[in-house]
Amino acid sequence: IANSPKKLPRGFYEKAASNKTQRLVSVCQMYFLDYYCDMFDYVISRRQRTKKVLEYLTQQKTVPSVTNESLTTEWNSYLHKENEILRKRRLKPKNKDFE
Amino acid sequence: MSFLQNFHLSPGQTIRSTRGFKWNTNNGNAASNDNDNYKNFNVGGGTQANELNAPANIMNHNQYSQPTRVLPQTPTKQVNSSPQQITDFNYTPSHQQPYIQAPVGTTVSSHQDLKQIVEMTLGSKGVLNQAVKLPKGENENEWLAVHCVDFYNQINMLYGTITEFCSPQSCPRMIATNEYEYLWSFQKDQPPVSVSAPKYVEVLMKWCQDQFDDETFFPSKTSGTFPNRFIQKVAIPILRRLFRVYAHIYCHHFNEILELNLQTVLNTSFRHFCLFVQEFQLLRPSDFGPLLELVNELRDR
Ligand SMILES: [Zn+2]
Repeated sequence: IANSPKKLPRGFYEKAASNKTQRLVSVCQMYFLDYYCDMFDYVISRRQRTKKVLEYLTQQKTVPSVTNESLTTEWNSYLHKENEILRKRRLKPKNKDFE
Repeated sequence: MSFLQNFHLSPGQTIRSTRGFKWNTNNGNAASNDNDNYKNFNVGGGTQANELNAPANIMNHNQYSQPTRVLPQTPTKQVNSSPQQITDFNYTPSHQQPYIQAPVGTTVSSHQDLKQIVEMTLGSKGVLNQAVKLPKGENENEWLAVHCVDFYNQINMLYGTITEFCSPQSCPRMIATNEYEYLWSFQKDQPPVSVSAPKYVEVLMKWCQDQFDDETFFPSKTSGTFPNRFIQKVAIPILRRLFRVYAHIYCHHFNEILELNLQTVLNTSFRHFCLFVQEFQLLRPSDFGPLLELVNELRDR
């Protein structure tokens, strides 16, 4: 590995092998793995929730006693809830646990 | 998951370095309309020194021509006594000429090779393209705000792993290739100044944190709303500055990233960032400065 063709700063391997760097690297990899799993999970489940709500609203439209107004209200209250979930995602202390 | 699989360069595979002096000193991509803390610059005297010491390079001005043998040299040392082959993986735009060249036959432009790396690691089914889309009915500001914080955290993680290698000695200025330097303005009404890369990243991250903590910019209460023109006034300035950390890492620490086997996370993060800013048209081509070619590759794929 000492004959690496790459142009690396002096003392790179000593630093790279240090516990500190190794820990930072694995923390970084774990962070990204966790982030992308969580992010895709969120995106996919949110789409499924929206799909269900829309299906429900479409079905309600055929019921004569249900007004368009009430359907709009229901849709908006659903969006409001989703908005709150999204805001909580922004506020949760994400990288604090690692530092 | 496939996007986190590891990518290894095969032993014989090299990337042709294109890092080094700038030949076309007056090329047209000077993004001079970005006025806040950014300037286009040349390494003083670099071109001349290179011409004096490596006349063979002139014959090889065309980046895609067959490489001719050139004595290895570095910008700082005028004479390099060891003629061993050195490959520099750090990203450099194709118009910047190499000062070190790998032997004929194994060379590809760093630009092309980086593209290959990105494709191999992230080429899977455009999952990220889908993920950046605004969810049906969601407030655009909220969606952008979440992503500002996410990219901030990602860059914090990425840069954190190379803090040992990015010091005021190794990087006395916040540059990306030898054409771009980013300056920081510490006080209003005062001209932005040149600082070391670690200092720049430190004040940049602190500044972002202050923005996030400002309730009038990033409301935390359920009832809180975003300010007028949140995107132009808050989100875009944050993303423009965060981008510069990617630029510095790609251009000056990609070797270390490769050695630490973090290229996949860096590429994933950067591609995600690019797709996001593209989806909402947040950054102009001039904001991409040194990485414009790489960004265009990502878009055209
Ligand atoms: Zn640096």
